[in-house]
Amino acid sequence: MDDRQGETFGAGLVAAVPIALGYFPIAFAFGVAAVGAGLSPLGATALSVIIYAGASQFLALALITSGAALPVAALTLIAMNLRHVLYGPALMKAAGEGVGKRHAWAWGWGLTDEVFGAALGELARGRRFAEAWMFGLGLPAYAAWVGGTLAGALAGDGALAGWPVVEAGFSFLLPALFLALLLSILTRPQVPVIVVAGLACVGGTLAVSSTTGILGGMVAGALAGLLRRGA
Amino acid sequence: MSGEVLLLALVVGAANWGFRTLPIRFGLGAGGGGGVLARFLAAVGPAAIATLFVASSLPFVQAGAVLAPVAGTGAVVAVWLWRRSVVLATLGGALAYAAGFALAG
Repeated sequence: MDDRQGETFGAGLVAAVPIALGYFPIAFAFGVAAVGAGLSPLGATALSVIIYAGASQFLALALITSGAALPVAALTLIAMNLRHVLYGPALMKAAGEGVGKRHAWAWGWGLTDEVFGAALGELARGRRFAEAWMFGLGLPAYAAWVGGTLAGALAGDGALAGWPVVEAGFSFLLPALFLALLLSILTRPQVPVIVVAGLACVGGTLAVSSTTGILGGMVAGALAGLLRRGA
Repeated sequence: MSGEVLLLALVVGAANWGFRTLPIRFGLGAGGGGGVLARFLAAVGPAAIATLFVASSLPFVQAGAVLAPVAGTGAVVAVWLWRRSVVLATLGGALAYAAGFALAG
């Protein structure tokens, strides 16, 4: 690992703060919904520990309660997370040559949408890649996701009903995080990529589904990147 | 948790782990170069973040509220320009959204 292991792990923890703050309330909502769908608090938490993918966990609840066949449910949920295949290679491309990946089997598990975005933003601002830093970035996010799920499952239905303003603020954390990340990596050559990705996402979401919109936006934006010169 | 739900979680979780770790393990994307794959991968990050921002914002647009989303978005941009901090910009945006929600309510 890196010589500055402690420092880079700590830097990862700091960079993970907005992710953890964003994850906790969403995971809390998932815990509430899971208990409402008939799972025990332990079962709800187990889903977050084992799957660790927000949107597909909510969809899993819908599939479970609708009585979908196991193979159908599994394939649907797997397809939903297919986009994650691109994150590791894109991150390693940004990290440069010769970086460590010995422990990628562990820190790679934490490579969610938000952790990937935060890692890329930090690298774009000149931070050197280190596996310890990736552990620091991923662990609080995972802990917040699992902890939030357990808290929500234990709190049960209507836990935030009396706090609508707090609930509203929580609901905006993820869009705010993504916008901040977008600003952090924004450069003039990437504007066409961003515009194409955004338009494709809107089109795919309105025409088919949010999953199609997300996957279509990423692929269309990345293909637009092929047209750039000197990228 | 029933055995079927646990099996579903294990299958999906194993696939997620494979999606996230195996491409790194196999060295995809490592190194420099300016080939087609390299340019594609370099564009994946901005494309993904832009897509996720749009996808997470669409429900707010579709809900028809104006004050809170505008306040939240404006605060993220303003705090980012002021401090160049993702942490502060995110928290500032959420606070401004909550304030806008309270005022509009």
